[in-house]
Amino acid sequence: MIVTRVFGLFAAVFAIAYTIAFEWHWELFSYHPRTGEFGWGQQPSKGGPVMHWYGAIATGFLAALAACLIALPFVRKRPLPLWLGWVVPLACIAVWGWLLRGFFLR
Amino acid sequence: MTTFLLIMHGLMAVALLGGLTHQAAALLWPARAAGGFAASYRAVQAARFTNANILFYVLTFVLGALIYPPYRIAVRTWIERARLWHISGLFEYKEQALAIGLAMLPFFWLVWRDPKDQETLTARKWTTAILCVIVWYSFIAGHVVNNVRGLFGQ
Repeated sequence: MIVTRVFGLFAAVFAIAYTIAFEWHWELFSYHPRTGEFGWGQQPSKGGPVMHWYGAIATGFLAALAACLIALPFVRKRPLPLWLGWVVPLACIAVWGWLLRGFFLR
Repeated sequence: MTTFLLIMHGLMAVALLGGLTHQAAALLWPARAAGGFAASYRAVQAARFTNANILFYVLTFVLGALIYPPYRIAVRTWIERARLWHISGLFEYKEQALAIGLAMLPFFWLVWRDPKDQETLTARKWTTAILCVIVWYSFIAGHVVNNVRGLFGQ
């Protein structure tokens, strides 16, 4: 199955796109849990907390899906390296440790 | 309803934790024959756990996503007001690691498709170990956060 050849790429692009989406506020949508409302992109508070997690996951998923669709014709002839599927996510998890250090250093 | 979902989330997490730890132990520290408890624990056919672990990961993740809004309103607001930044940070790190882990599941399935394939052995070991660490961390962090306030704590 040719589609399985891009699974590593999916994991890698998702990890990068999700991290960028969160840090640069490129969430696809935001959610206001107090009112139950959704809004496109990053939304300002409407008298309660705003959740960006779902939107960042959606951004990461779309970016990963797009990258896989673009890569599909190329991986028929040249398979992608396997390390993409674990090295990049592992690096992004480490980056998150650095990005969130403020919580533990206050 | 939130309490019910939280309990289900916890039960799914226990099943996932058990399955993934079994799979990781059998892969990273294989036992030649089942002897005592530790050897028997590691002497399982690790590949058999793959689909169940993927299913439990997805179910636990979806249940966690469903109970996230009540947490955001009732618990995290309280944690921030109490200035328990390190507790809040534990949860923040958990949500990021779990999302990245979720996208690794198709690759996890791929590297376990043929457990005898030596070409995928390194990727199989690392992917399983990463997911196992993510799940263990998230389980402990989730418990700490829940115990510090609880969804309906006063």
